[in-house]
Amino acid sequence: MIDIQEKLKEIGPYVEAPDDYMLVCRCEEVTKGEIRKAVHEGFFTIEEIRRYLRSGMGLCQGQTCGKLVKGIVSRELKVAPTEVEPAVSRAPMRPMEMEILAEDGGVAHE
Amino acid sequence: MKIERYDMIVVGAGPAGLSAAIEAAKRGIKPIVFDENQRPGGQLFKQIHKFFGSKEHKAKIRGFKIGEELLAEAEQYGVKVVLNATVIGLYPEKEVTVRIGDEVKHYKGDAVLVATGAAENMVNFKGWTLPGVIGAGAAQTMMNLHHIKPGNRVLMLGSGNVGLVVSFQLLQSGCEVVALADAAPRVGGYGVHAAKVSRCGVPFYLSHTIVEAEGTDHVTGVVIGQVGPDWKVIPGTEKHFDVDTICLAVGLSPMSQLLKQAGCKMADTKGGYVPVCDEDGATSVPGVYAAGDVSGIEEASSAMIEGRMSGATIAEYLGYITKEEKESRVNELEAQLDTLRQGMFAPKNRGKLVEKTEEGIDVSMNLLEKGYVAQDEIERYPGVTKSKGIHPVIECTQNIPCNPCQDACKMGCIMIGKNITSLPAVDSNHKCIGCGMCVASCSGQAIFLVEEDVEPGYGEVTMPYEFLPLPEVGDKGMAYGRDGREVCAAEVTKVRTSKAFDHTNLLTIKVPNEMLMTARFYKAK
Repeated sequence: MIDIQEKLKEIGPYVEAPDDYMLVCRCEEVTKGEIRKAVHEGFFTIEEIRRYLRSGMGLCQGQTCGKLVKGIVSRELKVAPTEVEPAVSRAPMRPMEMEILAEDGGVAHE
Repeated sequence: MKIERYDMIVVGAGPAGLSAAIEAAKRGIKPIVFDENQRPGGQLFKQIHKFFGSKEHKAKIRGFKIGEELLAEAEQYGVKVVLNATVIGLYPEKEVTVRIGDEVKHYKGDAVLVATGAAENMVNFKGWTLPGVIGAGAAQTMMNLHHIKPGNRVLMLGSGNVGLVVSFQLLQSGCEVVALADAAPRVGGYGVHAAKVSRCGVPFYLSHTIVEAEGTDHVTGVVIGQVGPDWKVIPGTEKHFDVDTICLAVGLSPMSQLLKQAGCKMADTKGGYVPVCDEDGATSVPGVYAAGDVSGIEEASSAMIEGRMSGATIAEYLGYITKEEKESRVNELEAQLDTLRQGMFAPKNRGKLVEKTEEGIDVSMNLLEKGYVAQDEIERYPGVTKSKGIHPVIECTQNIPCNPCQDACKMGCIMIGKNITSLPAVDSNHKCIGCGMCVASCSGQAIFLVEEDVEPGYGEVTMPYEFLPLPEVGDKGMAYGRDGREVCAAEVTKVRTSKAFDHTNLLTIKVPNEMLMTARFYKAK
């Protein structure tokens, strides 16, 4: 387990960057700055960032931004991207209508 | 709730998935293959270029043809392929949930093979979300499946094989490729692919990346800049191009989420998040297998072999063949796979600078840094010889696993030998008859026929030509060098097409004798 307080001390405070405005997750409109800030608030894993900012939770399910978010988090944490804990994989693996999901295994109950 | 049971469930009807299903079906298994797309074949049907390798790897056959062959084979062995079927979950007990139409159906497989392939990577720069910024895969889908031109003026980012091959296809579809940029200091893909883009006049900007995409509601321009050792753009090096399309070919990431959900042991590697597999594609969960790009990015030829290895392994796992039968098949396939993984671009050489060929010849640095072999470098390669009469000039300068040229020459002029990665050499003891089979069979379009003194002071260069409209005999235009620069006036003296050439036309131009080793492309005036 990472000691969050220790790690926060190590990486120092969040410093604004000129490209913080840039969209990283297009589906949920999450910017680079929001992701960087979240790391300095103590969100170190992709799972936490997803739940906090919704990055990678949209239509493409992180297919486009997944690697980019990981890169930003790893740079902020000053570790290799392979050391950032990835998100959990869950069904449905592709976006789908709730109506169809609700009928899984039979007709929906009225 | 109804659960349908199958011996073998395959996720993904691309080269790996189909090959695995075919291999298993040959052993008596009745596999079912799900694919979320409307058409089977994965990326194969977007591949209009000729593949590399040797006969056993289906070299010099175009990708979509290999796709057609694979589909025919699947049908022959009764492989059931369900399209528009999105696998949405894979559970540790090998239960598979699939969305088909407006329903979620449940299946259970005694063995499940995941062959979901990979997704394209993206990069962030100012304006990257503007319409007009597209992935190279999207460009291929538009051009090669739907016959739509992605744009008129295109900048390509990425000099790997995808970036190079798609740049050439963009040119073929009538787009202007204004530049090819890559943040890396050297071309990442095959030199022969780079050379054919370069001689069409596309400038290469290595150590360059995109600073911004310009435009308010769509791309109207792009600015690139040179990167320093810290990968940051050096101020003052910015260059602007008017473009309407920016094409990104910056690598692929395995789509391995299903395997992770199934509880397979995963590894985070430089090449992406992949399942830990043994050499036959078995993951840490008994009965769950992975093949193709999902277990590590390579290319279609190796994906097909990996698929077949998994198919044979699954056949043994399910008791359809004995261990000995499986091993003999897997060994045979492994040997094929090993050949593909040889040479300068072998997985073990990734990211390394190879400075000498296997023959001990210096690799062309110009090719790596600018996309073409310089005039003073070309003559050091064994395929480039000078003689009076007609003879092949083989501008193949890197050790890649490929040998169709050797098989193509019935006269025995071209020698590669046992080692498939050796540079082809021209044997002047055998007489070239100028049939042009070698020119058409070279997947890298790197072979030319050269003949001096066809008439006083003039000779002829024959080149592979895959553009439309096809020039006609008597047309006058300009000849271009390897660097894409105009070198001299040229007249078309022969245009040959034949079924055996498989859509690679042979264009012969007449140029002054002293230009025979320089003129490598032709454009009408």
